[in-house]
Amino acid sequence: MIISIIGAISKKLNLFFLLAAGMVFSTAVLSQAESPKEEDYFKIIKVPAPQGIILEVGGICALPNGDLGIATRRGDVYIIENPTTSHPYYRKFATGMHEVLGLAYKDGALYCAQRGELTKLMDLNMDGKADVYETIYAWPITGNYHEYSYGPKVAADGSFFVTLNCTCPPFWWHMQSAVPWRGWALNIKENGEMTPWASGMRSPCGISMIDDELFYTDNQGDWVGSGSIMPVRKGAFMGHPASLVWSGMPNSPLKLTREQVYAIEPPPPVIFNKDGQEVQPRNEDAGKFITEFEAKKSIPELQLPAVWLPHGILGVSNSEIVKIPEGVFGPFQGQLLVCDQGQSMIDRVFMEKVNGEYQGAAWAFRSGFQSGIVRLAWGTDGSLFTGETNRGWGSAGNASEGLQRLVWYNEVPFEMRAIRAMPDGFEIEFTKPVNKKNAEDLASYSVESFIYKYQGVYGSPPVNPEKCPVKGVLVSKDGMKARIIVDHLRRYYIHTITLNGILEEGTSYSLVHPTAYYTLNNIPDGMKLSLSGVSTHRSSVGMKSNATSKNPSARSAALNKSVTYDEVKPLLQKNTCLSCHNADTKQVGPSYKEIAKRKYSITELVQLIHHPQPGHWPDYSTPMPAMPQVPPADARKIAIWIQSLQK
Amino acid sequence: MKPDYLKICILCIGFTQWILQLQAQDKIPLTGLGFFQDPPSSWSIVGDVNSGFEDKAVLSLSTGTGILANLTDMSHPGHDILTKQLYGGMDIELDYLMAPGSNSGIYLQGRYEVQLRDSWGTVLPTSADNGGIYERWNENKPDGQKGYDGHAPRQNVSRAPGTWQHMKISFQAPRFNGAGQKTGNARMLRVELNGVPVQENIELSGPTRGALGNDEVPRGPLRLQGDHGSVAFRNIKITSFDNLPPALVNLKYAVYKGKYEEEIKFLSVPPESSGTTEILSTNITRFPTEFLIQYKGVLQIKSPGSYHFSMNLSGGRGSLKINNQGVIFLGQGSGRGSGNITLPVGEFPFDLIYSKLVVWDQPMIGVEVAGPGIRSFKLSDANVGADHEDPILVSADVNTLLRSFSDIDTFKVTHAVNVGSPMKVHYTYDLDKGMIVQVWRGDFLDVSSMWHGRGDGTAHPQGVVLQFGRPLLAINDLGSSGMQWSSDTSGSGFRPKGYIMDETDRPAFQYFIYRNRVKDKTTVLPNSKGIQREISLEKSTDHLYLRLATAKNIETLSNGVYLLDDKTYYLRMDDTGQEKPVIRAVDGQMEIIVQIHQSVRYSILF
Repeated sequence: MIISIIGAISKKLNLFFLLAAGMVFSTAVLSQAESPKEEDYFKIIKVPAPQGIILEVGGICALPNGDLGIATRRGDVYIIENPTTSHPYYRKFATGMHEVLGLAYKDGALYCAQRGELTKLMDLNMDGKADVYETIYAWPITGNYHEYSYGPKVAADGSFFVTLNCTCPPFWWHMQSAVPWRGWALNIKENGEMTPWASGMRSPCGISMIDDELFYTDNQGDWVGSGSIMPVRKGAFMGHPASLVWSGMPNSPLKLTREQVYAIEPPPPVIFNKDGQEVQPRNEDAGKFITEFEAKKSIPELQLPAVWLPHGILGVSNSEIVKIPEGVFGPFQGQLLVCDQGQSMIDRVFMEKVNGEYQGAAWAFRSGFQSGIVRLAWGTDGSLFTGETNRGWGSAGNASEGLQRLVWYNEVPFEMRAIRAMPDGFEIEFTKPVNKKNAEDLASYSVESFIYKYQGVYGSPPVNPEKCPVKGVLVSKDGMKARIIVDHLRRYYIHTITLNGILEEGTSYSLVHPTAYYTLNNIPDGMKLSLSGVSTHRSSVGMKSNATSKNPSARSAALNKSVTYDEVKPLLQKNTCLSCHNADTKQVGPSYKEIAKRKYSITELVQLIHHPQPGHWPDYSTPMPAMPQVPPADARKIAIWIQSLQK
Repeated sequence: MKPDYLKICILCIGFTQWILQLQAQDKIPLTGLGFFQDPPSSWSIVGDVNSGFEDKAVLSLSTGTGILANLTDMSHPGHDILTKQLYGGMDIELDYLMAPGSNSGIYLQGRYEVQLRDSWGTVLPTSADNGGIYERWNENKPDGQKGYDGHAPRQNVSRAPGTWQHMKISFQAPRFNGAGQKTGNARMLRVELNGVPVQENIELSGPTRGALGNDEVPRGPLRLQGDHGSVAFRNIKITSFDNLPPALVNLKYAVYKGKYEEEIKFLSVPPESSGTTEILSTNITRFPTEFLIQYKGVLQIKSPGSYHFSMNLSGGRGSLKINNQGVIFLGQGSGRGSGNITLPVGEFPFDLIYSKLVVWDQPMIGVEVAGPGIRSFKLSDANVGADHEDPILVSADVNTLLRSFSDIDTFKVTHAVNVGSPMKVHYTYDLDKGMIVQVWRGDFLDVSSMWHGRGDGTAHPQGVVLQFGRPLLAINDLGSSGMQWSSDTSGSGFRPKGYIMDETDRPAFQYFIYRNRVKDKTTVLPNSKGIQREISLEKSTDHLYLRLATAKNIETLSNGVYLLDDKTYYLRMDDTGQEKPVIRAVDGQMEIIVQIHQSVRYSILF
């Protein structure tokens, strides 16, 4: 009889579940292996383009009649009719412009930012080609390649916003603003009237308009520890001091100077090698540092990130942000999606306002695009167009450019839908009901927090990491929400919330994306939960731990033993190596096999993980950031494995 | 100010470079005809020539010296002229001026002709056009096939008749063995017309049509054609390359593994590999990543004199010793260097060391040598080093427009619009000034540096370029024609408005200046002779001037036609609304401006 019961039940549940009854951990492991992935819900479709057209998308715009406008870095604008079908039709609408990096539509005309100006394109004789290329506003440029100009985005009053990249000197780790208004956002009216809007930008490719509010993403670099989403308000300073050289101009909306910023955080020292050449200053692993929120106490104009996008996990060069329209992508409607040019991926962001300031959670959403994504736009059928180019930088994916679209299968994935800050922790809303037993087990939740430095050195490792003990959880009756009580919340910090133990009710699937990154700019006031009213049960086994092993015996074991890919893969993932490298092919960084050919010693490899030498790889345009946070034991294992690839 | 073609065309120069010649150039003295054999009567020494571009084949001469002119017409047939001196391999560089419709040629050794012709405006040049290698002729072949082996220039980069054009030819004579049998064909190593390479390394199977003789010879006279039209020459410079080149023999190599940053300390360890080699190369795959390689050989010198060695390497240090004397030393980071040594005829030890220190660079070493009457050539393997990028070219098969950065002399135009035409005449417009900053004839643009990797945003014109100096506002508000042109835009209210395309995709530029709206449109002249520009103002005014050009000198040829910059190009006033242009001296140059009331139309013929 038992056998028949087993037989019956095994049809519905995994056999192992029976054998390991009560061992939540094993269940979690196997369910994770079987659980659906992001590609089971969202499909990436290539948009066919006639062979020979170089897309290198710099701008996309959905037109009111359902056509799609595409602007390319080669200076062309194409209008694609029926872009969601299998036979889209391309017309070359405009041509000959200088690196177009944005496209917008307003009142029958297209507008685009090219290197030196905001241009209005009009087809007056209706032959399908623009006849008027009107200069709305031209700004000064020096001819430095890095002075890219992005946009426009159209404001509610019909005016335009553009954002301007900094000037890149030979010492690329120290961006400059050689002419007005590099590093600024500008507001430009149809009649050409220009108002400088905000300063402190470094690489503002991700200029975005969300519900008539201007936002942007910046990219890791000097003064920018990691990418993030920031609102752009008039008179604000985004953090990079180079652009402040123009704050003294008569029409500048802020008076902040570089010197005032340097008084709070001095620029890194200029250092030279033995040949007398200036070299990149390195991140100091030890020593004092400040964070942006600390700096803000003395620099009120400083805009803090609304939502951080942790570097190497949620992107390395974030770009455009779009809002998911109503009725699109099911439970995610109304939320934000932000793309990345290096990891060729899209993140999802839930943003809320607490005490009048933006904050929120970010998750990985979809990877696997063929090239770095720079622009996003919605199709009429609710699919999302991705405009891609990686020329000059390299990216994940096997193509140097592309136009693809993301389509939803109309099936709801099991995900965290939203995370809201609570006075005593977080409330996590799910897309489908959770298994109550797991949800009420504190071992299913893990919360840690960290932040980035505010420094002139390129990028920042995660710093001040600490655990945030989860003290209790209240699961809603319908299983759609779990409110966790979390100790040691730190304002402004990024809280990594990992729910490896949470399973879907019924299927026992794991969450498609079990890790969220919540930027806690404000802790809301309100009622705290009492511990007596929530579950405080914690099972003994616990779920897969993200904790780093500081076990000395593990270290010495690594010294001697060879390492297989299966053993090293979780380390590569955890330490975000796989965001830029893989074993065989060039991505953002060289393949591990290429690295192995260099015959670095184990010690050298460990050293290079912590303190990379971008000069060793002159063919690669994106410098590897310092990663002192990789535990020595992990680095050693990775080094041993890389060495083993030498053949 | 003479436009600096060389600087621009350095970008067009391929692997072979014009290096400093060790032999001093012989400039043919043109104070008399003594350099030439029995000079025919159509030739004379003069001080100036003029032909303009309109009258057929008329060349007017002025007394003086420095110019060799050939004047012919129906009643005065001309003849070719030959030098007394005979030449083998040589470089010849000269200026020449064609009368309209004229035809001439430079015959190396009197036998191999580079065609000189008024090919102004020809879109698709043949071997009979300016810069072509003239055809050979076989009378025994059927009609239509008698001419063969003519080689067209890569592009038509001719200037207008009546202007000075520049020709540079590197010629290699045929080679013969001791018995007088030909062992190697003659070659046009390089032909550069007006700064643009139009022929490179073309093998000549035999004398071209109308040669001095159908035999081929080790030495022959230079011959200039004079029987087919009026032509003038000046600044003729000849360099002989007749001597026997050196040879590197008995070459042995030894490779030492390791990083040798200091002076040679490797001799105490045995080499990792060693052997003999036919050619000095780094293409031996078994090298470790950090290594030192030493080449030892014998340099056979067959012509005594001063030898110039140059070396380039990547990722390390190197040294070259000849006859136990240090000739070149390259420290780390130098990359390239050179040195001289004087040697008699004989055999000398050759010792080269290359120490590769930088792990991630591809091994690469190159050694070149030039000597007395010996053209520079590569002693080492040419097939080393990293791959070269594909060029990226934009052609204007239809009217084509491309914005870019543009290098005009020492200035960088950041809002430049390049406008190309299938008629092979193109221009660049500076949107910040309303000024045309350059025009060119030939192919459109090389954008390799713009679209490889991140690019530098700069496009380069491909043909014969005429640049117009420092970009300044095209229009100024002057109280009188004596007032100085402003050096910036302050006070002008200048505001660019972009451009409007016509039905054939040609732009009409628009901008505001001095509270007036300007329309500025340029079209290509019929027969590709240049451009015509029309500038019109919305409101008629009395105090605005248009700056037409600035040049070393400006000759007034006839009413409304001017020849500028030591006879480089023409300006023609087509409609100035009764205003006469004013020529004035500014900072050692001549400037020509004209008042603009409602509109001005003028042409640049080049």
